[in-house]
Amino acid sequence: MKRFPFLIVVVVVLSGEVVRGQINRDLVIGQAEATPAPSDSFFDDTVLHDISLSVNSKDWRALKDHYLDDTYYPCDFRWRDQVLRNVGIRSRGTGSRSGVKPGLRVDFNRYTSKQSFLGLKSFVLRNNTQDASSLHERLSMLLFHRMNIPASREAHARLFINNQYAGLYLIVEAVDQDFLKRTFAEDGGYLYKYDYPADSAPYYFEDRGSDAKSYVPLPFKPETHDTDPRPEFLVDLVQTINQTGDAAFRSTMTAYLDLTKFIRHLAVEKFLSDQDGLLSDYGGMNNFYFYRFDNQKLFAFIEWDKSEAFKGGVEYPIFHNITDVPAAQRNRLLSRALSYRDLYDLYLDTLIECVKSANEVEAGSADPRGWLEREVERESNQIRGAALSDPERNFSNDEFEQAIRDLTAFAQQRGAFVTGQANAARVP
Amino acid sequence: MLIQGLVAIATVASGSMNAGAVPHPTEAFAPSFASVLRSQGWNAADESALGIGQAAAQATDGKSEKKPEKKKKKKSDAIAPDEEVDPDQVVDGGGDAGHFVWKQHPSIRYGKVFRLDVQAKLQEDAHGSYAGARGVACPSTPLPSTCLWELHRNRVGIEGYFFKRIEYEAERELTEQELTDKDLLAGYTPTSLWKDVDVNVSYINNVQVQAGRFKVPFSLDELTGDSHNDFAYRSLGASNLAPARDTGVMLHGRFFKRGLNYWAGAFRHDGDNVRAKKIKGGDGTFAARVTGTPLRKLNKALFSSLELGTALTISSLSDDSFTPNGLRGRTLFNHDTFYEPVYVKGHRRRWEGDIDWMMGPASARSEFMWVTDDRLKQGLGDQDLPDARARSWYVSGTWILTGEPKSRPVKAANELLRGGFGAVEAAARYERLWFDSVNGADKDASFRNPRTNSIFPRGERALTLGVNWIVSRWVKLQFNAIREQVEDRETSPVANGGASWSRVVRFQFVL
Repeated sequence: MKRFPFLIVVVVVLSGEVVRGQINRDLVIGQAEATPAPSDSFFDDTVLHDISLSVNSKDWRALKDHYLDDTYYPCDFRWRDQVLRNVGIRSRGTGSRSGVKPGLRVDFNRYTSKQSFLGLKSFVLRNNTQDASSLHERLSMLLFHRMNIPASREAHARLFINNQYAGLYLIVEAVDQDFLKRTFAEDGGYLYKYDYPADSAPYYFEDRGSDAKSYVPLPFKPETHDTDPRPEFLVDLVQTINQTGDAAFRSTMTAYLDLTKFIRHLAVEKFLSDQDGLLSDYGGMNNFYFYRFDNQKLFAFIEWDKSEAFKGGVEYPIFHNITDVPAAQRNRLLSRALSYRDLYDLYLDTLIECVKSANEVEAGSADPRGWLEREVERESNQIRGAALSDPERNFSNDEFEQAIRDLTAFAQQRGAFVTGQANAARVP
Repeated sequence: MLIQGLVAIATVASGSMNAGAVPHPTEAFAPSFASVLRSQGWNAADESALGIGQAAAQATDGKSEKKPEKKKKKKSDAIAPDEEVDPDQVVDGGGDAGHFVWKQHPSIRYGKVFRLDVQAKLQEDAHGSYAGARGVACPSTPLPSTCLWELHRNRVGIEGYFFKRIEYEAERELTEQELTDKDLLAGYTPTSLWKDVDVNVSYINNVQVQAGRFKVPFSLDELTGDSHNDFAYRSLGASNLAPARDTGVMLHGRFFKRGLNYWAGAFRHDGDNVRAKKIKGGDGTFAARVTGTPLRKLNKALFSSLELGTALTISSLSDDSFTPNGLRGRTLFNHDTFYEPVYVKGHRRRWEGDIDWMMGPASARSEFMWVTDDRLKQGLGDQDLPDARARSWYVSGTWILTGEPKSRPVKAANELLRGGFGAVEAAARYERLWFDSVNGADKDASFRNPRTNSIFPRGERALTLGVNWIVSRWVKLQFNAIREQVEDRETSPVANGGASWSRVVRFQFVL
């Protein structure tokens, strides 16, 4: 009986956090991200890191020769004064795969499941072969962080293979169970990577019927629970998007997706002129993970690979691939969501919020430049030496410098363009 | 019994006369003739009465047992389709003209000039294992799903001879899948659907020459035909370490009335078992095997079918492939990989010793295998590494509950549709397969990565309990329960490294 008052308190507190049967994820995410992680120093972007890998010389050649293959090779890993043996690396990427400067996935637990490094089981070394500046991804993820949207932590590093400089790489936090735990305070749910092979039909969240095989393993490739990926929840989600009537759509979707987060995610991508995100210029969707929370129907989008951001340029329209494409090529989820006034306004509001964030001047400083422009300068200065001496760089030094100038111009001009388009799109 | 024997002799003799078959000059007539009689269901007591065979030998060597041998249960008269028949004793009763007969197999024959037998082998499994086991996963489905049924083997083939002494065979699997172009581009090694495709020249029994694609002479269990194995699955060592088939040339022969047999050959690679989609396998292989019955002089009744064997192979190993080229360890039933291949280069050396004993309705077998692979320049710093090592052993036993004498295949005295129940045999096998490196098993300094100096020891133990029901010469049902436990929890397919039980019921039909 003594426990009864305590239980009442717990129930009252929880009732405030439970919205339509689910725990308020904003609170959970906020708490999870606020906790310092042991790996923070590894993603400290105020310094240019050095990473050394000791690999059998034949393996490094084989990894380059067979860069389209996902074969793992063993290596020893060194960062600062820490050496980790028994580590696995493999070639990775889709469009960025390269036999000259391979992108790498580094798995600390490849050969021993319990092995980790600063709490990480793996991370990605992005080769940035499609980005002359090498900054698109890092700048984009920083903006997502500023907008309180979950995204990978990132920092640049010089990679040494058997003591030879192998090029400038971007350290990218892998979207895996460690990421889920840090971001959502849980890792028991179902993580899928949206997989979009070049020869497959673009997907716009249209209803492909109730056959689970139409959704899993393509385009939603299971990353966890791969022997029991529970695709029926994805089928339910897609069918709810496509079949639910207008009257019930919002309330029904609440169990499956936080539409406000989806809209904000999309708005940030659009501000960044991302050509290959949720609304890809190459057709359908691309570059995201999809996570279903443990014991819930609720899904969440997670950003991935922003190397194509900024490429749309300053005047990339904010309704590109939304209203300027035929109906068949419109994202079904977004089309339905934007038909609601509050979500439509949220889209425009988030774009303006991105403008403000990008243009935010440094407090107490006389520097009139906004955050994004200053960040371009800071990061480019940090990596310039390593980028220009990169033995496997995919771009000339002139192209690197021009790309930095283009980013600076973007930072200076994008805000005004987006503001103009957003204001013009306001509905009285 | 005597009458049956006479009938058998008359049948065989008439067949021999019709075919014009003449025993080879190098062969002693009586013992070989006795083996044919035994294959027709004749037993030792009958042999003794006629003064031939082992019983006769016992009676004439002055050391024979005075007490008459206990009468054994008579086997079926007919030859089972998957029964091995001494080619020297193949008898054709159809004369010189071409004709069709169906004794052991559907057969077209033309005297001693030509013979073509058509064979078929079908094995359909109903099986189950732990939840999510890949061994019971449905093939080619995008989502994981479980299939109760598996068409395990579906083979057709031909065999026969030209001029009696040039034998040939060709067998093809119909259910395995070819690799796609994408697989081949990705560097996967194609697996041949052709099984045994070879020619054997047998003018001299002591020195026969076999060429083509056939089993490398290594491992008693691997060399036992799949349709008359005592268990649904071969042992861990045979499945993971023995070479199995390859293309090559081999000399083989026998001495002392099969008291000593030998095989020695050179092969292109080191067998299908150690190759896989991403494992290139060894190259040029020399293999030799010797078997014999050295103890039969001591006590024929006890040791005449106690055969000892040993074999070795030496293969060259390259590191040309970008993937590790070492051996892998997979579980018996589900083929879960508990030991990934390591990088190797140099030579692979195998050795095995085996014992095979049949005594009345019982049998026992045991085998030990030992394999080492060089790892020259395979370290992370291109340095030499200690040899990778694999070892395995098994002990197995069977007992025919219905009393027939043990043979492979088991022959039911009274088949199910001929007024009987068939033969029922109980079988058990316990075995272990494990891997490490020759510098020992220091777990603190050993790792699981394929270029580690000291290989983390990993292995599996398995217990198989089975009942075989030989319904007829064509049909057999095998019931096996298999308990497996991977010794390394890290690589165990089962949660927390526990043991798992799998079960299989196999329906086998041979033609």
